[in-house]
Amino acid sequence: MADSNAPKPSSSVKLVLLGEAAVGKSSLVLRFVNNDFQENKEPTIGAAFLTQKCNLPTRTIKFEIWDTAGQERFASLAPMYYRNAQAALVVYDLTKPTSLIKAKHWVAELQRQASPGIVIALVGNKLDLTNDSESGQAESEGADGEESGDARKISTEEAKTYAEEEGLLFFETSAKTGHNVSEVFTAIANAIPETSLKSTRGPGASSAVNRGGDEQRVNLNGPREAAKEGCAC
Amino acid sequence: MFNNLSSFVQKAQSAAQQLIDPMQGLNLTNSDRHPSKASLFQNQFRLPSSQTPLYEIPAELTIPPSNVTQGDKERDRGWHYAGKLHLSEFYMCFSTTPTSFTQSASPSSAAAFTGQTHGAGPSGNGFTFPLCAIRKVERLNTQSLQFALAITTWNGISQESVKDKDAQKDKKDFREQRITIQLAGSRPACERFCDGLKKGLRNAVGSVGKYKKVISECYSEYLLRPEDKKNMNPPDAGLGMIFRYPGDPKKLRDRAKMRLWAEYLRDNGRNATLIRQPTFHKLIRVGLPNRLRGEIWELTSGSLYLRLENPTLYVDTLAKFEGKESLAIDEIEKDLNRSLPEYPGFQSEDGISRLRRVLTAYSWVNPDVGYCQAMNIVVAALLIYMSETQAFFLLSALCDRLVPGYYSSTMYGTLLDQKVFEALVEKTMPILWEHLVKSDVQLSVVSLPWFLSLYINSMPLVFAFRVLDVFFVEGPKVLFQVGLAILRINGEELLDAADDGAFISVLKSYFSRLDESAHPKSENPKLRAINRFQELMVVAFKEFSGVTHSTIQDLRLKNKDAVLNNIENFAKRTAIRNLGPDSKLLSPEELGALYDRFYGILYERQQRDHIIQEQLARTKASRARATETYPEHHNHGIEKGRVGLGPSTSLMDYDAFREFLASVSKWAISDAPAASPRRDVSEKDRGSYFGSFRRSEPNLLSPWGGNPEPADHEFMQRLFRRWDVDSSSTLTLQNVVTGFAHIKGKRDIMGTITYFFELYDDDGDGRVDREGILRISEALLFLSRRGLEGSLSNSASTPTPNGLSESSSSSLTPPIGGTINERFLGSVSAFIRRCFEYADPDHPNNQTTNEGTSPSNTDEPAGDNNSAFAIGDDEDEEEDLLAFEGPTDSPKPEKKKPELGDTIPPALGKPDTDNEARRAVSKAQSEKANAALDPSNPLHITLPTFRMVVLADELLEQFFESSFPTSLHLIDGLASTNQSTSSLTTFSNMGFGRTSGAPPPVPQAGMAGAGRSLRGVLDNIVTDASRVAAEVRRRMEEAQRELEKNAVPGQRDEEEEEEEDVQGLRPTGYGGDPERRSVRSSDRDLLDGADAGAGAAKNPEGQSQLNVDANGVQDARPRTSSSATQRIVEFEG
Repeated sequence: MADSNAPKPSSSVKLVLLGEAAVGKSSLVLRFVNNDFQENKEPTIGAAFLTQKCNLPTRTIKFEIWDTAGQERFASLAPMYYRNAQAALVVYDLTKPTSLIKAKHWVAELQRQASPGIVIALVGNKLDLTNDSESGQAESEGADGEESGDARKISTEEAKTYAEEEGLLFFETSAKTGHNVSEVFTAIANAIPETSLKSTRGPGASSAVNRGGDEQRVNLNGPREAAKEGCAC
Repeated sequence: MFNNLSSFVQKAQSAAQQLIDPMQGLNLTNSDRHPSKASLFQNQFRLPSSQTPLYEIPAELTIPPSNVTQGDKERDRGWHYAGKLHLSEFYMCFSTTPTSFTQSASPSSAAAFTGQTHGAGPSGNGFTFPLCAIRKVERLNTQSLQFALAITTWNGISQESVKDKDAQKDKKDFREQRITIQLAGSRPACERFCDGLKKGLRNAVGSVGKYKKVISECYSEYLLRPEDKKNMNPPDAGLGMIFRYPGDPKKLRDRAKMRLWAEYLRDNGRNATLIRQPTFHKLIRVGLPNRLRGEIWELTSGSLYLRLENPTLYVDTLAKFEGKESLAIDEIEKDLNRSLPEYPGFQSEDGISRLRRVLTAYSWVNPDVGYCQAMNIVVAALLIYMSETQAFFLLSALCDRLVPGYYSSTMYGTLLDQKVFEALVEKTMPILWEHLVKSDVQLSVVSLPWFLSLYINSMPLVFAFRVLDVFFVEGPKVLFQVGLAILRINGEELLDAADDGAFISVLKSYFSRLDESAHPKSENPKLRAINRFQELMVVAFKEFSGVTHSTIQDLRLKNKDAVLNNIENFAKRTAIRNLGPDSKLLSPEELGALYDRFYGILYERQQRDHIIQEQLARTKASRARATETYPEHHNHGIEKGRVGLGPSTSLMDYDAFREFLASVSKWAISDAPAASPRRDVSEKDRGSYFGSFRRSEPNLLSPWGGNPEPADHEFMQRLFRRWDVDSSSTLTLQNVVTGFAHIKGKRDIMGTITYFFELYDDDGDGRVDREGILRISEALLFLSRRGLEGSLSNSASTPTPNGLSESSSSSLTPPIGGTINERFLGSVSAFIRRCFEYADPDHPNNQTTNEGTSPSNTDEPAGDNNSAFAIGDDEDEEEDLLAFEGPTDSPKPEKKKPELGDTIPPALGKPDTDNEARRAVSKAQSEKANAALDPSNPLHITLPTFRMVVLADELLEQFFESSFPTSLHLIDGLASTNQSTSSLTTFSNMGFGRTSGAPPPVPQAGMAGAGRSLRGVLDNIVTDASRVAAEVRRRMEEAQRELEKNAVPGQRDEEEEEEEDVQGLRPTGYGGDPERRSVRSSDRDLLDGADAGAGAAKNPEGQSQLNVDANGVQDARPRTSSSATQRIVEFEG
């Protein structure tokens, strides 16, 4: 999917990853960009930047991915990274209930502070640690992780309901096995409204943007109508 | 919108705060702008914060010619350096840089600096000797000079070698370190210095053992050992000794460097006794040899001195907290396997557990910082070159001094330095900067990791360590210089990069080719041999030599506020959003204001505390040593409290809570004038927080700063306890928000009533006892003593359908405000009465006895008390109450007035005159009395009763519905309404003008006595409305006792002539007032035996008092009694 076909129109999309520490943000990116997985990935300091192309039938999207640090105290740096982002991946760890709470905080922060049209995807990672990893996630609903071997603590239903309420894309993934990873990015690519795609970020387009980082327009629209066709659930 | 508003509010508020507290505007930057001389001194010599400059004197240092092995003619003559010699408690330091830290010196002469490190670290030539490293000091007899000292150190003399028989043999190739210093000051100055030195040396003798132990862990001790003793185990020089040091030692020319260092150390002393000469800085610039790296880092960063100060801190900390858990530990655990994972040492359990221990120990000694990602990488890097203990102290030096705030919980230091870096780029590379702005590339996303992990993650390790070598000696400016050089070298390519991605990839590829030749195509082989890293160093330190410590300090100062504001806005936004469902009951504006106020108060309090502490220290210091002392101690704490700097506290204790309430509610402001004795008492009660001190510096050092002194009322304590849900004796923002949300959020009278009731339901059993009822009424008076707010219907009582109220409305509907207060007092007293009337006894069994004996039950069998509160009855009660209300309501006072007129005067007259005696008597009597009638006889009201009683009174109802919730001014605070100082006057003014408009008092003979006796009470009451309640209560107790006494049939007979009041009361309660009687009989089902009767009976008394008090507060004294009288008369008429 990383091949680019010359004739198709190409546009770049700024995407930011947010979520609690060690939920696998960097691993998701690494899987998406290099189709690779590292057991002990160094923690991200500040943020890491990577790019990857995503081919859609009609166009090519070049993701500029900002992978942020997850530790709580780095949160105050986040506005620097989600500034002007058109898409956000808010990641939680299926096996850690606190990480979903943190994810909800991020969603609220983005809805209030980020660019108005931002497309947000909620991603539950580490599906490989749950029982439904082999069987696929179809039957995963209501799984409560009590049985041995199943570390799942957040049911698909719970997260999905929340995602629907807030108008988010929703996926459960495993960066380790690669399950659902590229689907997330494809869905986001599809969900980006055509209108917000400028060919590439040009100097003119962005010069008007205040550099303050904290002074973005406030989005009062609440949960937006996000395109749902990419949702694989 | 919310943002704008809240920031506006914040601004307005902070402006207001500045007006209130003159310190507020200054203190943020105070320490930055005028760093104390002690801190400059500590910085220059990298000394622990315990050290202050005590003496300084111009001096000339002579280092004798070095080893015989040195054939150099130049060296044979030795070296001479002119400079200044400084003495602190535990150190003697010499530097050639012209710096002065004496008290008389201007701060600029201490800060102005020309040395290589520009004040950021040990600069110029000289030494920093711990006094315990000095073996002896001799005064030399020279003719030409007044004072010359020869200083011999323990350099090279290890513990073993002293005992060793072979010591003599060693002497052959060992020369003791002996330097001479000529003091150039005036004779007295020299003598003073020498005296100080003598004293210091004497104190240091005890530390020699500690010193020897500490330096025995330095690799240099091993390195410089004679060859025949090298069989001993070398000290721990990091994981590199086991897992090899990064890089190719050949390429690094490690052996050659080691040789040069060995030579230098032999000539100039090692570790703590090292003397800095120009070669020292040069040797550092070319890169340290692997095995000495840790030790030199430790020395140049000053962490060696921290270790010397408390050598066992690391081990002790680990032992102390063994097995304990914390959030930091969880976070550390997550990162252990991902810290320099490519280095073999961190693929082993040994390396990982060292890392774990160092990070954990640090998180314990500095819980404010705890653990921050990137520390794992830095510490992992340190551990390659040094022992755990050394790394632990070096991490402290980093966090506290070298990169302050980088790893704090808000990372403000990191963000600040990014702003500083951007400013420097803009200044030094304007074209590049413009390009960055135009292409919307945010520089800090690239540069932040450079600073945060000290380049360790950005460059190949070998080069990152070279940067660290210089960084530790020259200070944080090195990080900036290197960063600027990176951009300068890649300038052209960066100008072609149009977005973040391109920008980053340019730099990435640059870092990966640092070891390549910088000039691969050059004809000149020497030039070709220079690699890109060397080029980087040259550009950094030559081209950007203008970037000095003070440049950076200035820029930090300039950007600090903006950065902190940004962080605080973010923190506020996040905190408010995460406050949970209760917070939804409040408006965003209210939440924002609450947040600001909460942290504003904590911040202010810390500032005040700090100033006070400083004052204390100063006084102490000046007492201790009268001259040549520097009072300032370490200033690290000065800025604590500001949210942006990391929440040094986010917990509010009770005192802070009081202050908080006083900023939003009139009633929470103390009535005591600033200097009143009462305040001193309360101050002492609180544990001499500020001691006698406050008195000497009245304004600044007032524990409340410029803010009004908060009251301390039982109600506030209850509120605090109620909000303190986890009983931690402190409130979090969440607690406070929840607390307010429950009062203000619902705006529902039932909720507020319930809330109030629960406040006083101590054991949560749904009952409030006698004590509680009295306390509630006290609280009501307390809360209303400055007048009521909110929507109160002016005519609260008028609509009641009886003429009585009209006529007795006495004051002829005096203007609203005044009477409301007045009426409220009445309402409260009616409240008390009704509570007692409708209270349940705790033990139904008692009831029968009560009834039997209770005078109140004479006309009716008691019936079933418990069922009295059945729902069905409520309606009846309501009706009764209303009927009852008519006369009582605003005229509630009046209702009683007849009684007052008839009976109270004697009753009142007595208590005032021979109170004590009476009390004693009545107590004895009540003890004799039937147990059931004892005032301690348990009795309680339930929530429905409470609700009913409240709702029965329009004013009380309004109080709960609107006045109490509105009295908390969350958003605008009291800024506008603040009448703290004059509030009492306001209260008294409020009514007076009005009552004075009332018809002229009709003097009544019968009342004269009452008036006079009341006056005594009023004297006490006028200053403090809340005492009214206490007084009321006391009276009521007394009355009750009397009553009970009467109630006992036997007692009625045995008559005491003297106790007129008893007689007076009897008719009041049960016979004197027909109206009351009828009420009582209509309510008889509710009557509760003696208790209720007693309550009812004493109420008149209490009420009348209240009434009078209200007037009294409003009026000058003479008037008081008469106006009360007047009403009574009216009523009677």
